[in-house]
Amino acid sequence: MKRYLIFRLIELIPIFFLISLIIYFVLNAMPGDPLLTSRLENPRALVKDPAKIAELRKYYHLDDPLIVRYGFWLASFIKGDLGFSSMYKQPVLKIILKRLPNTLTLTVTAWLIGLIVAFPIGIYSAVKKYSFFDYFFTVLAFVGISLPTFWFALMAIIVFSVILGWFPISGVQTYGITGSWNIFVDKLKHLTLPALVLGLVQVAYWVRYIRTSLLEVLDQDYIRTAYSKGAQERRVILKHALRNAMIPIITIIALDIPYFFGGALIVETVFSWPGMGRLMYEAVLASDYNLAVNCLMFIAVITLLSNLLADILYAVVDPRIRLGAKAV
Amino acid sequence: MFLMKKTVEQLQDSAIIPIGTYWQLVRRRFLKHRLALLGLIFLVIVTAFSLLGPLFIKTTYDEFDLSSIFAPPFSKNHLFGTDELGRDVLVRVMYGGRISLFVGFVSSLITTAIGLLVGLISGYFGGIVDRLLMRFVDVMLSIPLFPILLILTMVFGSGLTNTIMVLSVFGWMGVSRLVRGVVLSIRENEYIMAARVLGTSKLKVLFKHILPNAMPITIVSMTLNLSYAILSESSLSYLGLGIQPPTPSWGNMLQRSMNYILSTGHSNTVPWWLVFFPGFMIFITVLSVNFLGDGLRDALDPKFVSEA
Repeated sequence: MKRYLIFRLIELIPIFFLISLIIYFVLNAMPGDPLLTSRLENPRALVKDPAKIAELRKYYHLDDPLIVRYGFWLASFIKGDLGFSSMYKQPVLKIILKRLPNTLTLTVTAWLIGLIVAFPIGIYSAVKKYSFFDYFFTVLAFVGISLPTFWFALMAIIVFSVILGWFPISGVQTYGITGSWNIFVDKLKHLTLPALVLGLVQVAYWVRYIRTSLLEVLDQDYIRTAYSKGAQERRVILKHALRNAMIPIITIIALDIPYFFGGALIVETVFSWPGMGRLMYEAVLASDYNLAVNCLMFIAVITLLSNLLADILYAVVDPRIRLGAKAV
Repeated sequence: MFLMKKTVEQLQDSAIIPIGTYWQLVRRRFLKHRLALLGLIFLVIVTAFSLLGPLFIKTTYDEFDLSSIFAPPFSKNHLFGTDELGRDVLVRVMYGGRISLFVGFVSSLITTAIGLLVGLISGYFGGIVDRLLMRFVDVMLSIPLFPILLILTMVFGSGLTNTIMVLSVFGWMGVSRLVRGVVLSIRENEYIMAARVLGTSKLKVLFKHILPNAMPITIVSMTLNLSYAILSESSLSYLGLGIQPPTPSWGNMLQRSMNYILSTGHSNTVPWWLVFFPGFMIFITVLSVNFLGDGLRDALDPKFVSEA
């Protein structure tokens, strides 16, 4: 297990380098001189003195080849020096760390909602294969996959916030509320709608995965054996079948974590939820390249870590990998 | 057309399903798939609605009428209502459909073509080429898609051509993987060996014998790419980073709708139709494409489920 983990960790390093390289090169495909753009944006920073310009160019390594600049950039990223945001006039790391908890609250809640809804439906659809229930949720899964997230979110706001008035329209909390219990309830109210939207969009995919992998297991000989030994259906499904079906399911669910960040980007924007996704969107709108790229790098790192998590969980639930200790 | 013969032989062996050519069988299987048929019909209707609809209505998408702003649906002359400038939502949905469908079809064609090419090369030539290409695909796939699309629009700018380009750059990897898988399994067949022994050139083997076998999965992937492209374009345009107003697209029509909904929310009726109709068009189109893709998957090759 330990060897397997170390192997996986080492494997992440070159992938991280390649991802950052692609991101950096894409960004540098942009026409224009970064020094010039920043001066155009902020006339007060206009530097006319050629000597000063040369000094700045040297300071930012602007005359070095692309790959050298990439090296400097990556080195400072790893050291945690993410530079300055032109929009907020603050260090990028500080802004990102301030927004990250909001995104985590939203995505984790949405993820849990997704799991709680998807598992019973997926299991029941597999057990009652080709029943009305199964067909109904098959079609509903297609509906879920085809729903544009922003439209779903907007319609949810119109129906539940504007017309019915059950939930607040946007934001994280109402200001001026006192008492820790009241604040908690208020925050929960703000969280409900965005988390539901984000979670339910993912349910459609998961129900299909859970159904398919459980169906595959239910065909196996040992399930028939369990039945013929007289085990109760409930026990066979939950103990014998689901445990084995969990292996692919867990991988998919861990691998889907990054999709939540993509989805969160839209949901956060629609609900004015001050998370990382919205931050990145604001940065893109304001052409704050440094902030936007660092947000992307953060999301990419989270993606890699969730891939690692998927591998670890896979090893935990599947003894063949853990005990074999050989990386596949 | 070896796939054709193989399938027919298999079916003759089982002797349950009536015999026909490959495409006859495909058509028969497809027509049996009710949801897929429905999807195809809807897709044709939506396309016809967008392409031909404006011919029957006199107003255009940017013709505004300040005397009738926020007219609700089913009101006189405005079946889908009007927006904040009194522009007819129905007409705008039709024109928006032209743009959204165009972006969807073109970028899915491009991504599928790139993916097919990469997959064929990777699978057929193997070795170091294959390893390099697939590693590259792995890395590209592990970059979160929607965030990188945002960055790309920031770098390349928005607008019609740039949106298509942005959607194409990061959209081809899935197809290339699937095609590579098929090529790998076909490559080792005896008839490929036979063709080689007969002295057929590599390129001819690739395009004559291997490509036809990779077509079914390519067609299915294209439907997936199409639905993904339509969804991405609308999301980008909604965020103001895709198609730019005044050109309507299904996504950018929703852009400022929320402001009006919030501002008129308390006094008048909520102008829900500004949000509902364009979004519903996206939804119904993507749903149709997904049903169509599912039906094609079953119809083109029943073995797909296990192979893919």
